[in-house]
Amino acid sequence: MMKSLLAALALTTALSFPAAAMARPVTLSAQLKDYGGNNAYLALYVTDKNNKYAGSLWLAGSRTRYFQHLAGWYNATGGDTSQINGITGASVGSGRTLEVTLDLKDALFDQGYKLHIDAAAENLRESPNDVVVPLTSAGAGTPVKGRRYISSFTYSM
Amino acid sequence: MTKKTLTLLFASAALTATIALPAWSALHKAATGETVSPLSTRLGSDDQQRPMMLAEDDDHEKEGGSVSRRGSDDDDEDECEDDDGNCGPAAAAPAPAGSVPPPQNGLFDNSTAPKVQVK
Repeated sequence: MMKSLLAALALTTALSFPAAAMARPVTLSAQLKDYGGNNAYLALYVTDKNNKYAGSLWLAGSRTRYFQHLAGWYNATGGDTSQINGITGASVGSGRTLEVTLDLKDALFDQGYKLHIDAAAENLRESPNDVVVPLTSAGAGTPVKGRRYISSFTYSM
Repeated sequence: MTKKTLTLLFASAALTATIALPAWSALHKAATGETVSPLSTRLGSDDQQRPMMLAEDDDHEKEGGSVSRRGSDDDDEDECEDDDGNCGPAAAAPAPAGSVPPPQNGLFDNSTAPKVQVK
């Protein structure tokens, strides 16, 4: 009885360990410039090594009618909101920092994936690909400058 | 009478020249392989980066701490305020973080809910 219990425990541990090792919490941090306008909408999404849309990671801003201004994301998804169920939050104010922690698969890193951030704010110009950064283990913690709205972006794990 | 006719002729010639010259110039550029840029680019506009026109601000959106749940302060989501009913592409509102697991897009390990804060 004891022996079979131990065997079962060993088996479940052996099965659960690789699963746990396949994902890790990754914090994405985007600091916005003090551009002085209203809140910015941000779309964070990933493309694969063939520059094909692989999936969304976060969308800051809740009103669907403005999603079309996140041009890169919108072109890739057609504005399909099922892509962002459970990963949508509030828009981000000028000068503020969005910090999102997600459990991401290890396979996303060092495999040619790139993280993109599209940004847009009221009455200001859209900024598709405000940030584009390859997802690599070595690049974690290294700040990347944005083009228009994002002063600095970092991912850490 | 002749004076009037000449004036009319002169005016129509000037008008034709005004319209035809830029068109001829563009055709000539295209024929010689030069890039023809649309007027909008000459005026400094960039169609890839058009301004985002929000009908109203988002000040009511919760910013710090946890993300608001659907139905709390986003009840007016997708209300059509255009008189013509032309409010852009219609789409169901996305479920806010924390209300459902992240999508099964192969990027997430869905055992833990996302954490978000705006500082």
